[in-house]
This record gives sequence, structure tokens and C-alpha cells, in this order.
Amino acid sequence: MRKIGTKLLALFLVVALLPAIADSQDLESFEENVTEFTLDNGLKFIVVERPVAPVVSFVTHVDVGGANEPIGHTGMAHIFEHMAFKGTDYIGTTNWEEEKKVIEELDQVYQQWLQESYRPSPDSVRLEQLWTQFTELQEEAEQYVVNNEYSQIIDRNGGTGMNAGTGADLTIYYYSLPENRMELWFSLESDRFKNPVFREFYKEKEVVREERRSSVESQPLGRLIEEFLAVAYTAHPYGSPVIGWNSDITATTIEDAREFYNTYYVPSNITIAIAGDVDANEVREMAETYFGDLEEGPEAPPVYTKEPEQRGERRFSIQGQSQPILLMGYHTVAQDHPDAKALEILGSIISSGRTSRLYKRLVEDEQLALTVQAFNGYPGTKFETMFLTYALPNQGVEVDTLENAIHEEIQKVKNGELTQQELQRAKTNARANLVRSLDSNSGLAQAFAITDGQQGDWRKVFTDIEELNEVTLDDLQRVANTYFTEDNRTVGTIVNQDNEEVADAN
Amino acid sequence: MKRVVLLCLFFTLINSVLNAQKTYDELEFPELNEFQVPEVETFTSDNGITFFLLEDSELPLIDLSVIIKTGGVLDPADKEGLASITGTVIRSGGSELHSADSLNVMLENRAASMETGIGFSSGSASMNVLKEDFDELLPVFIDLLKNPSFPEDKIELAKTQTKSSISRRNDDAQQIAFREFRRLIYGKDSVYGRNVEYETVNNITRDDIINFHNNHFVAENMMVGIVGDFEASDMREKLEDAFSSIPSGEETPLNFPELSDESGSSINFANKSDVNQSVVLMGHLGGLRDNPDYAEIQVMNNVLSGGTFSGRLMQVVRTEMGLAYSAFGQYSMNTFYPGIFYAGVMTKSETTAEAIDAIIEQIERLQNEPISEEELQSTKDLILNSAIFEYDSYEEILSQQISNEYRGLSDDAFQQYLNEVRETTIEDVQRVAQEYLNPDQLNILVVGNEEQIGDQLQKYGDVNEVDISIPQPGGTDEESVAGDAVAGREWINRMASAVLPNGPVDGELVYEAQNTVKTPQGEMNLDLVQTINFNTDKLVADVTMPMGQVTMQIEDGEGSMQMGGNEMPMQPAQKQQLMAEYHRHPVYLALNRDQLNVEYLGMEEMEGQELAHIRVEAEPTLHLYLDPETSYPIVRTYRQFDPQAGEQVEVKVVSSDWREADGVLIPYETISYAGGEQNAVTNVSTHSVE
Repeated sequence: MRKIGTKLLALFLVVALLPAIADSQDLESFEENVTEFTLDNGLKFIVVERPVAPVVSFVTHVDVGGANEPIGHTGMAHIFEHMAFKGTDYIGTTNWEEEKKVIEELDQVYQQWLQESYRPSPDSVRLEQLWTQFTELQEEAEQYVVNNEYSQIIDRNGGTGMNAGTGADLTIYYYSLPENRMELWFSLESDRFKNPVFREFYKEKEVVREERRSSVESQPLGRLIEEFLAVAYTAHPYGSPVIGWNSDITATTIEDAREFYNTYYVPSNITIAIAGDVDANEVREMAETYFGDLEEGPEAPPVYTKEPEQRGERRFSIQGQSQPILLMGYHTVAQDHPDAKALEILGSIISSGRTSRLYKRLVEDEQLALTVQAFNGYPGTKFETMFLTYALPNQGVEVDTLENAIHEEIQKVKNGELTQQELQRAKTNARANLVRSLDSNSGLAQAFAITDGQQGDWRKVFTDIEELNEVTLDDLQRVANTYFTEDNRTVGTIVNQDNEEVADAN
Repeated sequence: MKRVVLLCLFFTLINSVLNAQKTYDELEFPELNEFQVPEVETFTSDNGITFFLLEDSELPLIDLSVIIKTGGVLDPADKEGLASITGTVIRSGGSELHSADSLNVMLENRAASMETGIGFSSGSASMNVLKEDFDELLPVFIDLLKNPSFPEDKIELAKTQTKSSISRRNDDAQQIAFREFRRLIYGKDSVYGRNVEYETVNNITRDDIINFHNNHFVAENMMVGIVGDFEASDMREKLEDAFSSIPSGEETPLNFPELSDESGSSINFANKSDVNQSVVLMGHLGGLRDNPDYAEIQVMNNVLSGGTFSGRLMQVVRTEMGLAYSAFGQYSMNTFYPGIFYAGVMTKSETTAEAIDAIIEQIERLQNEPISEEELQSTKDLILNSAIFEYDSYEEILSQQISNEYRGLSDDAFQQYLNEVRETTIEDVQRVAQEYLNPDQLNILVVGNEEQIGDQLQKYGDVNEVDISIPQPGGTDEESVAGDAVAGREWINRMASAVLPNGPVDGELVYEAQNTVKTPQGEMNLDLVQTINFNTDKLVADVTMPMGQVTMQIEDGEGSMQMGGNEMPMQPAQKQQLMAEYHRHPVYLALNRDQLNVEYLGMEEMEGQELAHIRVEAEPTLHLYLDPETSYPIVRTYRQFDPQAGEQVEVKVVSSDWREADGVLIPYETISYAGGEQNAVTNVSTHSVE
């Protein structure tokens, strides 16, 4: 469904939870209500008992995202995520045995069609024959389908906030239920990850293409971000769009999707968090019952490619029919690198809140920008990522003017002009943000599942504060000088083609 | 032997595990845990504020929020945006005791926040603090509500930001569609459909803002909700004390004008050539919350578009047809004024009509066929089983109660709604579909790519082109002083004889010039070869800029640009600007003088001499100032929108060094000023007629 990663704001929501901080005192009081256990097959559960209201939230985190996709198959993680709502061998079908045969044949024909279409001079008659056969099989498969039965069951049982998201680093699935229906979640969730059926696979790819049109192709910011990542990364998969290139979406078959599932949807790669009015022992029993027979698999392979050092500034602009937009990024580090914390707090000091440097100067005092945001961690955090600045110039302000002002502010950071008061304020706000994020089941489950799934321990939600608290002004100056160099920079803009200078016709 | 036993045991274990697993239809659910909805304490203070208190000690935080009876609905005509800007500047401008900067530092040092804002039918102010900071910050919050200082610079900032947002409002197809659809349904001049424009923002004064605040931020208009880690009795005292200094004032009557339910269908289109997907919205006026059929209509609404994928629109348009990522709809019923019934989809340009037809079919189907028993049941289950999530947190419980109070709904309005949902029948759903849906009176709006969509929309009727262009501010209106038309005619004839001493010329005027243009990056020098054919209105400009050579051409009304071997169409705005320049050219004016309405307005001193002032009727109005001795138009002025300033500025063009060649006089030096500042100099080196 939704992709994390193409919309900056959506991304902020996810990122904001991760670096949230509280005192270790908070951790202790929290630990009393948290139970964690791992099944023999490697599947990990984190349970938060929070009996505020008779409801419960579930988040399934799978440690796979766009960055894990093989070349030629960008968009695969996201397509699989869509397929997870298509039902199972029991749900969404009137006759699985028959349906299965047709789906297998359908995929064979599609693969033949693909193969033919990639030949140097494809045989157009054969292509058409295969396509006719393909569409006939698709119709045949359709007769067994019970439309959206899987998600309807959730809706009917009061499921709320049902969705899923695919990012560069991860895939998450989530919804909430009244607490008395917890077992329904176990039944449905275990079923879909034990028995993926790839129902209506090829039709769903058209839905994904519509999603691509609305979030990327028909959106100025979407187009800019896609181009920006492609320019900023030469080798690492962070340079490819999570939603996938159009030709890769075409090239992806059910067989590819199954292989992807077999590789990455193994229990040791999945973390589940459950928060709300639940009893941890009951959860554990149900977990054993429903997920105990999820087949163990080999550990998922790592991402081998590292982004090589950038040899010089990269810069492009898109002539667009929209008002100007500026994106500027510097390659930085992965979240487990010692400098990650300093970069994180640096982003907060220069761009969050009304006292932050970029807001104060660009938005308030000089009125150059309608909005400006800067943060470390785009498009992901697991691998070497970027420190990104996003800014919208005010009406009549040139992008260059705005960019120069941002460079001046960055230069001040490099010169060591940040103050102890600014650093302290950023730390205080990070702590408060964490506390505020702990007041909903869904927020807790999401923070715990993602933190544990990505960093190996949900406690990092809290313990990161010690690291963050150790950041000094010297660290800020040092990381700014290390990473914010011209050679390490990518700048992408949209400039309005209507506003080009016009020579006087006089 | 032992091994066999173990194996058996193992199998039994597996079996028991498998047997314990249940499919969704085998499950039986226990009763929902007892849930005591916490009691909200309320009281009303002497000055008329109603307070709502709810203790929640889970986290050491206190959230306070004030709802204020006011709204953008009260914006005076020509000052649209007043409420919203007032709401912004109350907070951004700080108070008399706490300037904006010191307030920002004070709050952010404590990780606290205070925000204010005014929407269409209510205003809000909130304070979120750690509990230990509450006592210190409450008086600051009250001071902000009571004595905002509205400094000029923060007012300007809010206006600039609003205008910047206006300039960006046509960048996104979805934003265009939702805005224009609303205007289509409610009427673009109604309070529900009107836009905030550059001009209406320019019209807002500091006094307007001060008055708006004084009239509405009074106790009689306020309700206060507070939730968090406190003791209610103690908190009650603090609140009574702190809010007692807010003047009672008078309750603001919120007047929501009646809407005429204009029937009739329409098809409307706005072009956006940089998209490959159409945003489609269709619908008509919806209803009011107090309609006795509210629950039945909402059940129908959920059949059409409820749940995640359960609604018929998602089922058919997304899942069955694969035409969209998103297909949606709603029969919205507001408290104060009618909502809108709409259904919509985003689909690739090529399938626009197919998707529209599929949606209309689903709307009609609700009227023509009873829904199935199963569909009724699953729709009711969806509403009833998820009801608990409407009040599953302290914040929601509190805000629901306040919202009911503000909208004049009873405390148990939601429970009543659920009861009526339970009683809704298949016949009810079909009855309300027939009564409240009008598929033959749909207003359809498509925002998309005209070239790709082609003629798909014609079958829905005559397509109305929606004008989404952003109106430029008029600035101070031109005074229309009546001038002397006879004398004006005489002067323009004299000018024509001066500029074209041998009468009309045939052939193309060609001249070479060097332009120095001021840009935000500094001065830019351009070399220009301009060819103008006054008979065919053909313009060609070869411009050499630092970044390369550009050829701009307008011929037969079509504009094009060539750059580095690439040709592209000229943007309409750019073409319009070039044509306007052409129509102000002295030779053009001389040749076309008979078609122009001109008036003589008297002698005026300008550029150190007395000049004859001629007004030429044009868009925008052109003023010529002629040298009484030579009759050359030494000065030309007109008003033009300046995107840098976001307002109209006066442009003045001063010409000198007039020289003749091939029977045409043109100035060899021209200096342009915008808003009093010099912005371009043109020096001609040679000209001829060829």
C-alpha cells in the first residue's frame, strides 16, 4: 500500500519515532510492562501490556526493503507487500486447487511473453498469441477469486488503521483490533506469511503503476526525489526508487516474487510487536500455536554494495511546471556509526522549531523560504545514508539565493558557531518527543518493532539517549567539516519554466 | 522401539498444534473487556467559559486546548484570509510581555509548545507542556490569548507565506481537483467556495487583525479542555483563576449562508500538461448532521466506500478493474452547513472515462438494486466493531465531548448513531440512496492531461474549461479621469507622423541591441537581434545570453523557443508577456492608432520637462508622455504584476536618442524602471527595415 520513502513528511513520522529519547528511568518502568520472546524458528515477539482501553495494535516488521532488491527487480519488496493483502489458500478463493494450477500456468505464459519481448527482434505474432493466452488465463483465474476477502474480514471485525509500508530498509504491516479479537490477528497474519498465493499478481502490478503515477510521475516533488536519488547514488541500491522503475515492474514475475519471499520472509528476519490490552502469556501461547510451524530458513543475505566515495559535486535541475523546489544532500553514515547521533542532533538544531537556525533566518528574518527542513537519514538509515535539506523558496525568490543562504548557515556550523544552549535545547526536545510518542498502542508497537527489527533491541528506543547526550559542540563541528563538503554534495532543483528570464521585446 | 514412540509423540504434538490453529471462521470471540469510559469533569466560569477536565497520569504531560467560536466563514468579502492570518500571527507575533523571539526560546528550552490557528468554522489554541512547567507557562499562554502584540513584521511574514502558498496552489493536480470541486459544488463566490487571493491578502490591515482578535477571542466564545497528569480539583482552581482575566465579550454569531440546491449535471475540466494521470471527482451537495436519516445514509456511504478495500468503489475500480491505486468517496454531513457527496478516482489518462463510468454505475446500482443481507451485515459489523476506536484514548474522549458541545450535539450522539446503525435495513439503504443520491445531477471534474485524455469527456456533455489561473492583484485601481478624446487623437496622430515620417512601412523592422537586465543574481548582459513584422504580427528574437543562444519566435499566434538545437513550445505566460510588449511598441501604436481609444489628460512634468499625457485603453492601461516639440513618446508607463514583490508595480520606460533609418524612428537608449527601481537598459546599435 503506502511506500515509506517517496513522501518526505511520511518519512519524518517514521524517522521521528526512532531517535526519540527518554531517561533510563522511563526504560525501567517500561520494562516492567514489556515481554519479549523468540520462537524456536527465530521469530521474535515484543509484547507491551497497556490496558488503557480494550484495544490492541499489531505491527509486523520484516527486515527487507528496496535496498535488498536484485538488479532488474526494483519495486519487488513493495509488490510483495501488496500481495500480502490478496488472501491465502483458504481466504479469498472458492477453489484453491484449481486456482493454483491456473496461476502457475499464467506465470509460465507471462514469462514466455517477457522472454519473447526482450529478444532483439521479437516475433510480433507470437507476442500477440502469448498475450491473448495470458489474458484468457487471467480471466480463468478470476473466477475463483473472492474479492478482497482477507481485508474484508479485518474490516468487519473492527480492524482500524490497516495498512502496510515499504521503505528502503524495511517493510511493515499493521492494524488494530478490539482486544477480544486478538486470535483473529494470529490466524490471519500467520496464514498470509505461511501461505502466500500471489493471487491477481499481474492485475495488482497495474494498481502499483497507478500508485507510481500519483506519487511520482504526476507529482513535482516525487519526480524530483526520484531523480535526486538516482543522481546521488552510483552503486548502492538507495539510488533506486522503492516503488520500482516502470520496466522493472513489467519484468517482475510470480516466480521472482516467490523467490524473494523465500529469501527474505524467513522467521529470523521478522519481528512482531503487540501493544495494548493483552496478557503476555496468552500472546505467547498463541504465538507458539500459530507461528510455531512457520518454516525456518537460511539467514537472509546482506547487501554487499557500498556507495563509493563521491569524486565531485553533482548538480541537476528539472524545468518544471511548478514553483521551484530545492533538495540538497551530503553522503553520511549508517545509523550504527558513531557519528550518526551528532548528525541527527545537528539536523534538529538547524531546522526543527522556530528557534532553529535555518527557520529563523530563511523563513522568518529574510523570508527567502516558505519552508525548510534538514535531517540525517534519507532515503534510509540502515546503510550509509544522506543528510538531506529540503526547501521551498518563497514567491519570487530564486533557488540559488536560497541555496547560498543555506550554505552560509552550514559554514557557520563548520566554523563552530553553534552554542551550548542550542545543543541542550535539541537534546531536551528529543527526550520530550520520545515521551509524547509513547502514548498510543500503535505508536509504541511501531517504534518497538522497527527499532528491534532494525537495530536488534527495542531498548535502543530509550538507551540511545545516552549516546545522544554525549554529543558535544566539537562533535557537531567535526561532523559538519567531515561530511558537508562540496565534493560530497548533490543538489537537485525544480525551476519553473514560466519564470525564465525573458528578453525584452521592445 | 523407543525411537518409534518418540516419533509418535512428535506427531501427536504437531497435530495438537495444528488442531489448535483456527481459521477465521472457526473463531469465537470472548466478550470485550469491561471498559469504564472515564468521566470528564465540567464546569462553567463566571465569565462564561466552559471547562472540560480529564485526569490521565500515564505520562508526566499536560495538554490544554481552547476552542474558539470564530472562523474563516466570517472573513469579509475582499479580505479572505483574515481569520487564518489572525490565527497564525497570534502565536508567531508573541504577546506584549513575551516577544516572539523570547517566547520561542522559553518554550523550546522546555520542550513545550503553544499553537494557535483559525479554521473555517472554529478557532483553536493549545498548550502542550511537561507537567512541571505547567504553572509557569499557563500565565504566558493566557497573555498570548489576551494580548497578542501583532507586530508588523510578523504580519508581513504571514502574508508573504500565504501568498507563496497561493503561487504554489496549481502545482499539484490533487490539490487543484479538491479545491476546484469544492468551488464547483458550493459556488466559487459563496463563503464555502471562495479562494484566498493575492489581492484579498494585500487588503488585510493590522487594524483588521486586531479587531478580529478583539471581537472573537472572548470568554463567551471559548471552551477549554485539559487532559493529563494533574488533580482535577486543584486544576479547576488554577484554570478559574487564570482564565478569569479574559473579558466576557459577546458571543459571535456564526452565520452560515443557505445554499440553493442547484440541480443539473456538468462536466468540467482543468488541464495540467505535466501529469499522466487524471484526478476525477464527481458529486453534488450532501447533507446536514441533524438529518434524521443520518445513520442510514452513513451505512449506504460505507457500502459504497467504507473500510480499507471493502467499499464497492475500491472493490470494483481498484481490485476488479486494476484502474486505480485509490478510489474513494463520501457522503459528508456537516453540522453547520451542508457537506458534499463525492466519489473520485485517480487513473491513467487513457482510462479516465472508463473509470468515471465504473463509478457512476456503482452510484446507480445503490439506487436500483437492494444490497445483499451479507453486505448489510458486514457493513454494520465494520461500523459497530470499530466504534471502540472512537474513544480508545483519553485525548479522544475529551475532544469528542468538546466537539459535540461545540456543534450542539447531545453527549450520546455517537451511541444514538450506533443504535440506529444496528436498526438499519436493506430497504432503508435503498430508500436513502434513492432519496439522497442524484446520479443524473452529478458535477464531474477532471484535472488531467488534455492531450492524453483526448475526447473522452465529450460524452458527458459540453465540457466547461475551469479557469485555474491565479488572479493577479489589481493594486490601487486606475483612476478613470475623463480625458479629452479629440485632443488625444490629435496627439497620437502627431506621434505617428514623428515615428513614421514617411507613413506606414512595409517589410520587417530589424534592430540589434545590447540589453543589460537586473536579476536577483546580479546584472546580466544579453545581445539581441529583434525582427518584427507589423503586418503579420510575427516576432523573432535571437538572444545571446551567457548560457547560450536562444531564439524566441511568435508566428500565427504560436510561440516557440529554440535552444541548443531543441525546440519547445513557449509557455503561455511568456507568450502573453512578449505580445504585450509588442503592443506597447511605438511603431505598433503608430500603425494601429485608429483602433486605439486614446484620451489626452493634460500636460505633466516628468523627466525634468513638461510632457503631454495620453492614456491608451489597453490591458493593462498604457500611459504615453509625448515631448510636445518632437512628439516622441519619451515616457511610457503601465502597471504589471511583480512576482518578487507579490503585487502590482508601476513600470516606467524612458526612451531617448531617437534615430531614423528607412523611414522608422526608434530610441537608441531605453531605460526601464519597475516600482521606481531601474531594472533594464537597452542600447540599440543599428536598425533597418528589410
